[in-house]
Amino acid sequence: MSTTTIREIREIIREEPVMHPRILEALRSGPLTVPEIAQAIGSPTDEVLFWVMGMRRYGKIREVKDPTDDGYFRYEATNWEVPA
Amino acid sequence: MDYDVLVVGSGIGGMESALKLGDMGYKVLVVEKEASVGGRMILLSKVFPTLDCASCISTPKMAATIHHPNLTVMTYSEVKGITRDADGHFHANVKRKARYVDEVACTGCQQCETACTVAVPDQFNADLVARRAAYIAFPQAVPKKAVIERQGSSPCTFACPAGIEAHGYVSLIRSGEYEKAHRLVLDATPLVGTLGRACYAPCESECTRGSLEGTLPIRRLKRFISDHHVESGAGLGIEVAAPNGRRVAVVGSGPAGLTAAWQLARKGYAVKIYEAAPEPGGFLRLAIPSYRLPVEVVERDIQNVRDLGVEIVTNTPVRDLAALKSEGYDAVLVATGTPRSTGLGVPGEDRLGVLAATDFLRRVKLGETVDLTGKRVVVVGGGNVAMDASRVARRLGATSVTVAYRRSRAEMPAHHVEADDAEKEGVQFAFQVAPVEVTGDAAGAVNGLRCVRMALGEPDASGRRSPTPIKGSEHVLPCDVIIAAIGMTPDTAAFASQIGVERRGTLRADPKTLQTDVPYIFAAGDVVNGATDITRAVGEGRRAAHMIDRWLTGGILDGFDLRLPVVDKEQVLARQKTYTLRPATPEAVTLVAEPRDFREVEAPLSETEARAAAGRCMDCAVCSGCHECVNVCPVENCIDLYARDTELDVEVGAVVVSTGYKLFAADLKPQYGFGKYRNVITGMQMDRLLAPTRPFNTVLRPSDGKVPERIAYILCTGSRDETVGNPLCSKFCCMYSIKQNQLIMGALPLAEVTVHYMDIRAAGKRYDEFYEQSKSMGATYVKGRVAKITEKENGNLILRYEDIENGGQLVDAEYDLVVLAVGVQPNRDAQRLFPQEELAEDQYFYVAEPDEDLNPGVTSIPGVFVAGAASGAKDIVDSILHAGAAAAQVAAHLERTQAKTKVPA
Repeated sequence: MSTTTIREIREIIREEPVMHPRILEALRSGPLTVPEIAQAIGSPTDEVLFWVMGMRRYGKIREVKDPTDDGYFRYEATNWEVPA
Repeated sequence: MDYDVLVVGSGIGGMESALKLGDMGYKVLVVEKEASVGGRMILLSKVFPTLDCASCISTPKMAATIHHPNLTVMTYSEVKGITRDADGHFHANVKRKARYVDEVACTGCQQCETACTVAVPDQFNADLVARRAAYIAFPQAVPKKAVIERQGSSPCTFACPAGIEAHGYVSLIRSGEYEKAHRLVLDATPLVGTLGRACYAPCESECTRGSLEGTLPIRRLKRFISDHHVESGAGLGIEVAAPNGRRVAVVGSGPAGLTAAWQLARKGYAVKIYEAAPEPGGFLRLAIPSYRLPVEVVERDIQNVRDLGVEIVTNTPVRDLAALKSEGYDAVLVATGTPRSTGLGVPGEDRLGVLAATDFLRRVKLGETVDLTGKRVVVVGGGNVAMDASRVARRLGATSVTVAYRRSRAEMPAHHVEADDAEKEGVQFAFQVAPVEVTGDAAGAVNGLRCVRMALGEPDASGRRSPTPIKGSEHVLPCDVIIAAIGMTPDTAAFASQIGVERRGTLRADPKTLQTDVPYIFAAGDVVNGATDITRAVGEGRRAAHMIDRWLTGGILDGFDLRLPVVDKEQVLARQKTYTLRPATPEAVTLVAEPRDFREVEAPLSETEARAAAGRCMDCAVCSGCHECVNVCPVENCIDLYARDTELDVEVGAVVVSTGYKLFAADLKPQYGFGKYRNVITGMQMDRLLAPTRPFNTVLRPSDGKVPERIAYILCTGSRDETVGNPLCSKFCCMYSIKQNQLIMGALPLAEVTVHYMDIRAAGKRYDEFYEQSKSMGATYVKGRVAKITEKENGNLILRYEDIENGGQLVDAEYDLVVLAVGVQPNRDAQRLFPQEELAEDQYFYVAEPDEDLNPGVTSIPGVFVAGAASGAKDIVDSILHAGAAAAQVAAHLERTQAKTKVPA
C-alpha cells in the first residue's frame, strides 16, 4: 500500500507559476513524459500532471502525438524561450 | 412590476422555463450565480442515450436565453432574498457581483486570462486542472466575457500605508516577472530600493502565511526586484503623460515629497523640488544609517524621480510659500517632515557633548568626521531614531552605548527588530529611567547623566503605562556623550503667517484632501502628522499628488483610497483542510557585538530564495492585483480592479426556483479513497475528461498521466445509501456511467471497463437498449457492492468486492483508474431565498411539490414554482419536461392573478 500523502489540489495548483521554468528547463533536452519530468525536477508525478496540464492549457507546452509503449504521452515546449 | 417572472438559476431547467415563458410574451429576469448560463449540462461530454454532443445541444439554448427579447439575464449575480407583499407580488434583492470586467466592452479575447499570475483550481473542470483568477468560465460560455475572481484586498496589500500592491508584486515574482513586479511598485512610489530595505513591513505583520510556518519576506522581495532591476540595466518602463503645462512646487524631498513629485510628473506636471539640506532625500539620505539603507540606494531611487524630469534644488530652504505662487507654480506641496530633535529639557543640556540625534545622524550621513572612540555614550529615548543613534555610536568607536528610556522595553516605540539588533551589537538598555540633569566637569564637558527611576502607572491615551518618578532614586549614568533622541518636530515657524500651524508645530491640513487653509497649498507627511514612518509618508505623498491633480483639473477632492475590504484570513485558511509547511525564509542579518563599519547588515535574497518565498504566497484575495490583465487588455478601461458589488431590487409576479442539485461529496465514503488516492475520480471528472473541451489531452489517470487500461466504475456512490443519509436513487448515475463506458471504449479501444453495480436502472426510452449496447461493446458488469479500495505503490487500485453472481466470493481486482458514479443531493440554497416564509422541503430536503402528481412545479408558496432537479433527481429529459410544466404553471398563475407587466399578445 502506498504511504504517500497527497497534497491539497489548491496548494499544488497555486505553485504552478513557480514550476514553469523548471519544467521548461527539463524539456530543453526533448519531449518527456510526466514521470520523466517528475524525476527531472524532483516532484511527485501527480503534482507534475497538474502543472503540465495547466501549462498545456495556456499554450506553454503541448503533447507529442502518440503515447509511449508504456502508455504515457510525451510533452514538449511550444517554444524554447525559458523565462526567468 | 419590473418583470413578470424571476427565474433563479440557469441550468437546463431554468433556461427551459425562462424560454417558454419568454415565448409566451412574459418578461423574465434570469439570475445566475456563475459567470455563464448553462448549468452542469454544458460541462458534460455527451448526453444519453443519443450520444449527442452536450455542447452542441446546450449552446443554442444558452444563446437563445441570452438573446431572447423578453429575457433579461444577470450572470455572476445572486438573489439575496425574496419577499411577498400583500398583493402577492414578489420583491427580490439581487446582488450583482463585481466582475471587474466591463461586460459590454469585453471581447472575450482571453488575453487577461493568459496574462494572469494566479492559478486556482478550475471548478468548471472539476478541479482537474488550473484556471486563472481572471478567466472565462469555459470555452462555450454565454456570455463569453471574462470575470476576475477577486475576493477583496489581500491583507498584505491592505496593510500597506503606501498603497503598494504587495500581493501583486509577490505573484509577479512567483511568475518570474521581476521587471513587471518592479514597475508595479513604481506605480506607487519611486522608492523601491529604499522600501526594500528600510520599511518596517506592516504587510508582513498581516501575512496569512504567518499563521503557518512564517510570514513571507515581502520587504526583502521588494529589495530583490529593486536589485534585479539595477543589475539588469532596464529602463523604468512606466507610462508618463504628456506635459500638461502646469507647474507644481514641492517643498521637501523626503519620502512624501519625492513620491508626490513622482506621481505628479507621471501625470504630466512640471515639478520642482526645493530642499533645504545639501542633499535630497530627507531622513532617507540624512538620518537612516547606511548599514540599513546605503546612500547609493537612496540616490538611485531619487534618480528615478529625476528621470521623469523632476528638478531638485538643494540648499534652498523655502520660507515664503506665496512667493512660489508668484513664480508661476499652480500648486505647492509642503512636505518638510520633522527635521528637528526635541531637546532634553533638563539643566545642563547645553554642555559640550550633548547632541541632538537628528544632527548626529545627519553629520555622519554627510560624511563628517564624528569620532566617538573610547567614549561612553548615553542615548536618551526609545524610538527608532534612538536605536539608529545607538548603533551608529557603536560603529564610531564608542566603548559603551546605553539607551536610557523612561518606560519598559515592552512600551518602547522602536520596532522590536531594531531594539533586538541594537542589543546584539552591544548596545545596553537602562529602562524606567528619566534624565533630570546633565552633569559636567569644570570645562563644561559632559561627564554624566543624572537620572531618576520611574514607576509605571496606568496606561495613558497612547495605551502605554504612564511613568512617574520614584523619590530618592536619583543616580548618575557616567558618560562622555549624550544623544537626545526623545522626539522630532517640524520646522514650520516660517509658515505660521501663511498657513495654519498647530501648537506642536505641525501644519494644519484636511486629513483627506491634504489641502491647507490656502487652497493652492497642500501639506503631507510628517510635517502634518508628526514623526511616523516611510510608508506612511509615501502614502501621504501619493494622496497629495492625487488631490493636487484633482484640484488643478477642477475635480472633487476625493477618490484616492479605492481599496476593497480586506479578506478574512480565517476564510483564506479554511480553503484548505491541510497545509504543507514550507521552510520559512531564513533571516539574513549579520550582526557583530562590536560593529566598526557601515556595510549593509542584511544580505539580499538570491533568485532561488525569492522565487521559493513568493511561491509560499496563499493568494488571499485570489486576484493578486498585479494589474497584468489591465496591462494586456486591448480595450481601454475594460478592467476596473476596484469595482464594487451592486444591488438592485426588482418586483416580479412569480418566481421559478431552478437551483438544481449538488453532487455527493465523494470523500464522505472514505473506504473508496477519493481525495486520498489520485486515481479515484468522480463521474463528473470523467465526463470532463471525455468532453471535447477536456482538461487533459485525452483520458489520463491523474496520478502520473498514464493512459488507463483497466477502468472500474462504482455505481451508487452516495445514493441509495442510508449510511450517508441518502436513501434515494439519483436516477441518472447508471445511465451516465453507461454513456461513459461507451465513450471510453471509443476513445481508448484497448481499455477494459468494469462496472460494479447493485442493479442497473435503465428506465426510459431506449435506455435499456443503451445499456445492452454497452455490454455488447465489451463493458463488464459485476453485481455487488465494493467494500473498499486500497492503493498500490504504482498508483493502481485494488477493489475488494463481493461477487454476488459468482457464489458471493470476496474478490480483489486491480485497476488503473476508478470512477465513482456519485449521486446527487438536494441544493438547499433555495431555502435562503425566502427569509420571511418557508419554502417547504420534502422529507429528503428537495423543494417540495405538495401536489406533485397533479400539479408538478407548484411549491408551498403561492406564486413560487420549481423547475428541474431542485425538486428531485432528474435527468436532462425529465428536467426539461418538468421545467416546461413549471412554465405552464407560472403562466396560469399570472393569468389568474393578473400579476404581470402586460397582457401577452
